[in-house]
Amino acid sequence: MAYMEDFLAATGLTKSFDSVQVVNSVSFTVRSQEIFGLLGPNGAGKTTTIRMLSTVLDPDDGDVTIGGHLVAKESDAVRKLIGVCPQELALYPELSAIDNLVFFGRMAGLSSSEAKESAADVLERVGLTDRAKDAVRKYSGGMKRRVNIAIALMSRPQLLFLDEPTVGIDPQSRNHIFDTVLALRDEGMTVLYTTHYMEEADRLCDRIGIMDEGQIIALGTPAELKAQVGDADTTTLEEVFLSLTGRSLRD
Amino acid sequence: MRLVIRQALLLSFKDTRLFFKDRFALGFALLFPILFIVAFSLALGDLGPEDDQLRMAVATEEESGFSREVIDVLTITDSTGVDEWDPKDAGLALHEGRIPGYLLFPVDFTQRIFSGEGTEILVVTADGDPETEAVLGGLARSIGGRIGTLSLAARGVTELEGFGSLDLVKLGQLGAAPPSIVFTTEQVGDVEPFNASNFTLPGYLTMFLFFAAALGAEAIARERQTQTLERLLSNGVRRSAIVAGKMLASLYRGLIQLAFLWALGIFAFSIDFGVSPVAVIAVSVLMAVASSAFGVMLASLVRTVKSASSAAVLASLTLAPLGGCWWPLFITPDWMQAIGRLTPHGWANDAFNKLMLFGAEGQDVLMHMAALLLFAAVFLAVAVTRFRTVSAS
Repeated sequence: MAYMEDFLAATGLTKSFDSVQVVNSVSFTVRSQEIFGLLGPNGAGKTTTIRMLSTVLDPDDGDVTIGGHLVAKESDAVRKLIGVCPQELALYPELSAIDNLVFFGRMAGLSSSEAKESAADVLERVGLTDRAKDAVRKYSGGMKRRVNIAIALMSRPQLLFLDEPTVGIDPQSRNHIFDTVLALRDEGMTVLYTTHYMEEADRLCDRIGIMDEGQIIALGTPAELKAQVGDADTTTLEEVFLSLTGRSLRD
Repeated sequence: MRLVIRQALLLSFKDTRLFFKDRFALGFALLFPILFIVAFSLALGDLGPEDDQLRMAVATEEESGFSREVIDVLTITDSTGVDEWDPKDAGLALHEGRIPGYLLFPVDFTQRIFSGEGTEILVVTADGDPETEAVLGGLARSIGGRIGTLSLAARGVTELEGFGSLDLVKLGQLGAAPPSIVFTTEQVGDVEPFNASNFTLPGYLTMFLFFAAALGAEAIARERQTQTLERLLSNGVRRSAIVAGKMLASLYRGLIQLAFLWALGIFAFSIDFGVSPVAVIAVSVLMAVASSAFGVMLASLVRTVKSASSAAVLASLTLAPLGGCWWPLFITPDWMQAIGRLTPHGWANDAFNKLMLFGAEGQDVLMHMAALLLFAAVFLAVAVTRFRTVSAS
């Protein structure tokens, strides 16, 4: 696949909470129309990094450029380019899927008719058209995850942040999400994807950055990372991950 | 600015929709207060005008004079609920528990009025009977206010027409003041001091308005935990729009509570807004504004859903008694009344008591309205400066 220029560039990102340094001078780029995986054990700093990239948190130090806009100075322009699917189910369970989508679409600046049109499109994409009017609380875990992703697609973003989008769901829903993400990439969307599941990263990601203790400790294609610790054909990404981050428990 | 208003309105409409879908929230905000109001109105012995009306006793030490005129008017029909007693008999009846209290006009009442020295009407009650004291106090206050007006008019007319003595009927005929029967009956009827719901309903309305708003902090904390607020922020929603939207939603809920509970009070409990219903409504609306700002401020001060729940319950159950929601502040010691003034509940309840129990007019509670507005401004300032969209975890 022929990649275009870098769509996202993070340089020296640093963030501390209550004197604990959570992210320490993180730098990486995400190219246009690629799926970039951010892997790391619990507490590695992935979610904090995504929060800084998606304009929610201000970094203590460092810069982020998205689509040519500096996040610190042009956050409004950046917000028009991005869609964020948080790790939690960031939606209203008492409302139906369509009402959730229309609400978030309108909050993102779409008119009522645009929001309804976009909601119908994304519901079809995530396979929930038939259940669109049911309250989300009645959905299965996998369906809720798909609504969570659908909301992020409402404003047709150029860069999609997916923060552990497949946690706790069945294989069918997971596969559906994989297919959706790959289709979005093929249509020209750039995706930054964080996950705990190595086989997921291996299957989806064009390039991967492995984070540990607030730093990027390895960066490359899955094949390049595997080659760093053994035979690229026989080594799994999980072996790479454990080799780089160690086997000690992180929770 | 237009963007912020649009976002705030969208957010507040969505939250209001969620409120109507949440049976617990609806029950807590609208039905729970009714249980308290019914229970405490019954406990205080009167639930409406169909129950036995409290009879008021009045006595005068004057053989003739102005107080006699007043008593004649007060006792002209049975519907006024006022009986004339001999001062000695009234004292004895109070001592024996046959009457809860009485009004006593002193022997020099007329003389002091016309000499311009000022006089007093004594409210005599048994110890520990604040309800009777409030009722008789309201009557004394209304008599005093009207006598002041009439005596002024009387002196003016006397000078102009050369009358040598006071005659209320003649004054009425001259049009210098409305007929005395009309003014007395209206004043006593409008104040409706006999209905216990006139005190319990505003008290519990105040308590549950703030309680529901405080519990709104829990919902905001939950949205922070589920990253919904974070998602809104990354969607281009302004932080100020989130704060305004949350406060507006809480305000709508408060206004719905007010409309529902006041309407219920009027139609089911026969409460009376007194002589200035507009002032009661104005105080209510300002209280809703202060409570909504209070809820958002609470959300900005807590970190987790659990701490939001605890803070809401603790704040509500502390501020309600301190602010006179459970018992009238005017029966408490001065130091407790002073503490009550540190709470918005205290100002709101004092205003309601003045308007609905003691026949005060709108201008008498302007300071209360200003205090509620000040509380709202302070709460909002704290909310705006401390509001966080991202969970600490």
